[in-house]
Amino acid sequence: MRIACPFCGARDSGEFTYLGDASPKRPDAPIDGGVAVEDQFYDYVYLRDNVAGLTREYWYHGGGCRSWLIAERSTTTHEFKSVTAAPGAGAAKAKQAGER
Amino acid sequence: MPDFVWSSQSPLKKALVPGRHGAGKGAPGVALSHVSDIALVQVMARRGRNADVAKAAKKLFGAEPPAALKISSGKVVTLVWSGPDQFLAFSELPQTAPSIEQQEQAFSGSASLSNQSDGRCLIRISGPNARDALAKMTSLDLHDSVFPVGSAATTSIDHTAVNFWREADDASGNPAYVALVFTSFSDTLWHLFVESSLEYGVEVAASGTGH
Ligand SMILES: [Zn+2]
Repeated sequence: MRIACPFCGARDSGEFTYLGDASPKRPDAPIDGGVAVEDQFYDYVYLRDNVAGLTREYWYHGGGCRSWLIAERSTTTHEFKSVTAAPGAGAAKAKQAGER
Repeated sequence: MPDFVWSSQSPLKKALVPGRHGAGKGAPGVALSHVSDIALVQVMARRGRNADVAKAAKKLFGAEPPAALKISSGKVVTLVWSGPDQFLAFSELPQTAPSIEQQEQAFSGSASLSNQSDGRCLIRISGPNARDALAKMTSLDLHDSVFPVGSAATTSIDHTAVNFWREADDASGNPAYVALVFTSFSDTLWHLFVESSLEYGVEVAASGTGH
């Protein structure tokens, strides 16, 4: 299987490692926000959809350019529909990963 | 009097055996060499400072930072793409590249520098069968139409991170490639290069002589 890194081009999947679901967004909540915020963080940390079809997931090109990537992959066919740089990859981008 | 004196030695001291190895008696299919005296600095642009890095590189090295998957050449220094917004500044000694201090000054505030001169081992592999030997261990497509002279890649060879690029063809018009390997992994990869080349006949140069 090959994965098309937006920086390096198509490479053997062995150069990449999988992190997980790229869909959850870290709750933007006050530090001591009470039970409601705890619930939001519980969802963010633990709850994942078990999708049959297209998912958005983080991949790391550790055996190549060492960039974090976001891939759209089908869990039923393993087809990669798109692979793009994660927010903050490369210094040219104005924002770091995780910044809004 | 110090208790201990560090003496530097080649990481390929045991592995590299000069001379002809493997098949055939005619011209060797592959030429292998280790270039021991190199100056190598990793340059990583700081966030939003790409334009300043480009300007400083042009002034210091006489070359713009390389485009993605390419190298760019100054008078003495070759700049090798190593990922988005970063490159390696490489030169062979005794050619006089700007010193690390000069580089630190030129990129002050715009890039982070890391001296890798003793951290990496530079191996050259060339010849009419160099591509055949490399095909056994890399997933890169090295066909002329995809990886012409001046191409660069960061990739994994035998699960080991390698900076890889293609130099000008050798004197006989055969392709010539460079692999930059972490020093501590170079013994393993050197054996792999030699073993993969045996069926074509391989000429190993004495360490430090290049080709
Ligand atoms: Zn990559």
